[in-house]
Amino acid sequence: MSTTARTRRRAALTRFRRQYARQRAGLYGVAILLVAVLAALLAPLLTDPSGMDVTRATGARMAPPSMDFPLGTDESGRSVALMLLWGARVSLLIGFMSALLSMVIGTVFGIAAGHFRGWVAAVLMRVTDWFLVLPALVLAMVLAAILGGSPFTIILAIGVTSWASTARLIRAQTLAVEARPYIERSRALGAGHWHVMTRHVLPNVAPLVLANTTLMVASAIVTESTLAFLGAGSGQVSWGTMLRGSYDWGAATSGAWWYVLPPGLCIIAVVLAFTLCGRALETVLNPRLRGAS
Amino acid sequence: MVRTGTRLAALSLALSMATLLVAHASPSAARTSQTSQTAQGAPQAEKRIVRLGATQSMDSMNPFLAVRVVSTSIHRWMYGFLTVPDSKTLKPGPDLAESWETSPDKLTWTFTMRAGATWSDGKPVTAQDAAWTFNKIMTDDGAKTANGPAVENFDTVTASDDRTLVIKTKKPQASMLELPIPIMPKHVWESVPDIGTYENEVYPAVGSGPYIAVEHKKNAYVRLKANPSYWRGAPAIDELHVIFYENPEAAIAGLKKGDIDWIGRLQGPQFEALAGDANITQWNTQGRRAAYLQFNPGAATADGEPIGDGHPALKDVRVRQAIHHAIDKKTLVEQAQNGLAVPADGSIIPPMYQEFFWKAEGEAAVTFDLAEANRILDEAGYAKGADGIRTMPEGGRKLEMRFSIHTDEPVEDKIAQYLTGWLKDIGIQLTTRRLDSNKFTEETGSTALYDIAISGWSVNPDPEEILATHLCSRRPTASGEGGGTESFFCDKEFERLYQEQLVELDRPARVKLIKQMQERLYTEAPVVAIYYPNNLEGYRKDRIASITPIPEDNGILYGGSSYWPVYTLRAVERAAAPAGSGSGIGTAVVVGVVVVLVLGAGGFLLMRRRRVSADDRE
Repeated sequence: MSTTARTRRRAALTRFRRQYARQRAGLYGVAILLVAVLAALLAPLLTDPSGMDVTRATGARMAPPSMDFPLGTDESGRSVALMLLWGARVSLLIGFMSALLSMVIGTVFGIAAGHFRGWVAAVLMRVTDWFLVLPALVLAMVLAAILGGSPFTIILAIGVTSWASTARLIRAQTLAVEARPYIERSRALGAGHWHVMTRHVLPNVAPLVLANTTLMVASAIVTESTLAFLGAGSGQVSWGTMLRGSYDWGAATSGAWWYVLPPGLCIIAVVLAFTLCGRALETVLNPRLRGAS
Repeated sequence: MVRTGTRLAALSLALSMATLLVAHASPSAARTSQTSQTAQGAPQAEKRIVRLGATQSMDSMNPFLAVRVVSTSIHRWMYGFLTVPDSKTLKPGPDLAESWETSPDKLTWTFTMRAGATWSDGKPVTAQDAAWTFNKIMTDDGAKTANGPAVENFDTVTASDDRTLVIKTKKPQASMLELPIPIMPKHVWESVPDIGTYENEVYPAVGSGPYIAVEHKKNAYVRLKANPSYWRGAPAIDELHVIFYENPEAAIAGLKKGDIDWIGRLQGPQFEALAGDANITQWNTQGRRAAYLQFNPGAATADGEPIGDGHPALKDVRVRQAIHHAIDKKTLVEQAQNGLAVPADGSIIPPMYQEFFWKAEGEAAVTFDLAEANRILDEAGYAKGADGIRTMPEGGRKLEMRFSIHTDEPVEDKIAQYLTGWLKDIGIQLTTRRLDSNKFTEETGSTALYDIAISGWSVNPDPEEILATHLCSRRPTASGEGGGTESFFCDKEFERLYQEQLVELDRPARVKLIKQMQERLYTEAPVVAIYYPNNLEGYRKDRIASITPIPEDNGILYGGSSYWPVYTLRAVERAAAPAGSGSGIGTAVVVGVVVVLVLGAGGFLLMRRRRVSADDRE
């Protein structure tokens, strides 16, 4: 990479940072995310995982918040606060990884469908359409049921069912980029498919991919919770399985609000944070949106 | 997946409950009533009606085909049997057969039919009816669906006169007095061309039991009327309605609202939801079910060919016993069953069947003792590795096992959480596999792709069937067809005891043999009983005056193998039924308004959102 390119990129990054800093909502989003991610990463250092084992639970069943259990206990006497911390790891992991998987599939399909015309694009787009019209939640449930319950299979189930709209988005952008004259120029200079796709198209769709991934994480976390609540859980404590447990063991009817509310509020907070970040990114990266505000 | 539907249904129920609350709040709709949809309008004042809720619906009105609990129960109320369990002791007592005797070679049974018993159309019940019923099942494959195995050992069945029925068997059959087969009226059923496809939706039905079905709406309800010509005398109520619900939550709401008067076979949380309702009696007695774990003891087909992928360590009886020591049954009862069960010190026959029940005592009893479990495994040569997980004595494979449970069963999930914790302490790593019920049945019953699995069985007064599920011959065939094994167990001693009890017509001697079989199961541990769930029911005391369970001491109301509870049922006399007309329309209007509001609001928000995003982008 030449020095001019490097300085140009550094300048672009600084400009991006400055513009993002102007988005107040986006900053709140980043702050919430930082707290959530830090809590999830530090959980093994700060707390003892044996508290998650029901046979070692020390509390009473569904005990209200107290000094020992700041958020009360669940139906087996485990600390809800502890479960919330460890659940954040699973929820965030599944959210990030399945969004990543979905973006990778979506980007590959989108760029390929936009770059290659003719029957290749037709086949790829029909496959995309097929995934688009399938009811994603039902398909994910079936997949999770067939593959069995582990974080990996849930990531797969969500990733495989949610990439279609991304592919459409990326394809549209790819078509726009490929219509630019410099692509034609580079083709005339002998650039192959791979060169055009990775060197010219990918960097141009990357901002879109980034913004979309951020929004996708939010929906993946919600999907994970939904799946867990409907019974297709990952087998580990996540916010979704906590909600499920509170429903199964009648926390709401017995008035154990400390078991129902915290996981729900955490999901709302994190999903909101991702959405705020995603919107802010979109505003910064999309020149048309930037012009309006 | 099935339960997901339930969950969604629960959600919609919650929504409709919310609208009902709205309906109650508005003065115009003072009372809501769903009885109108259940059975032919509001109940009339003079009739004594009891409405039973069931979370199953009828699979068939034809007793040759019906297998569900609700169907066989209703058929028990509609048709007489040769014998019926005594309401106090559960020992076989006379029903349509007044008395019986066996020949010295134990192969010929002679039943004397009841004099004076009549069908509801006035014709007498004769030995020909019984002979026709048994012969039909023996000769017509279509009629074998429900009770084929029960007559497998029959050689001939003949009626030597109107009151004498003679059954000759190929081998002696000790369970002859507990045949689960209703006697059908020959003069009505003779003309049915194909029993295997016959729906029997002809009303009023012709029967000989305390009640006669007069109406059946599929998936909605069955209406039964008292049979005035019943040989014991007509029941004390006029009509019994059985109303089908799609899910237990809806049935509980129905009981609380008064849409139904009685519901049986409840789960712990639903049962607890009935607490504190002044109009409802909670019925918590010993149950007929045993919950147990099944281990894969080196599964094989009926021919002895190994199948499946069970963990090799489980072939070792010492490992199975060590795991038995690592199960704290009391904690499981408290945590998974809310205390509404009895920890199992015995085997697969619950204590409700006092006569057959066996439990380990003294030294023989396996107690919760992790140190003892560790000692057994250490002695057997399963050494612990650095990670705390044991390996096979010859090295190599670690003791990492799967625990198969059903999806969507919170109770089984909870058991899995505890087992995982305890087994970790004895150096066995357990991972939970949640399977939908078809796959579960396949993997634990025919393909043997499991290590440890959860299971359970509702035991009949005669325990032969549950004991037979651990026979060598019940293992799947070479082609992988399930034979109904509950453990893939195959043990010479158990087999010998089973054959002996089959032909032992002396009851005390047979009871002793059956207890020995349970002891064998307990020590060999192909299955380990964890608890016996209580029988949980509820009924409205403002509608039901009294009801006698079966057995009369601490027994079951709905789902027991006798008509005794419904026969002894007495309704609270009521002066007049509340008028429920009109309010239904009120509810419908409210629901309609709410739906329109919600849709309207949703549409408005959607439009707004579109406009906002359009603004954003331009």
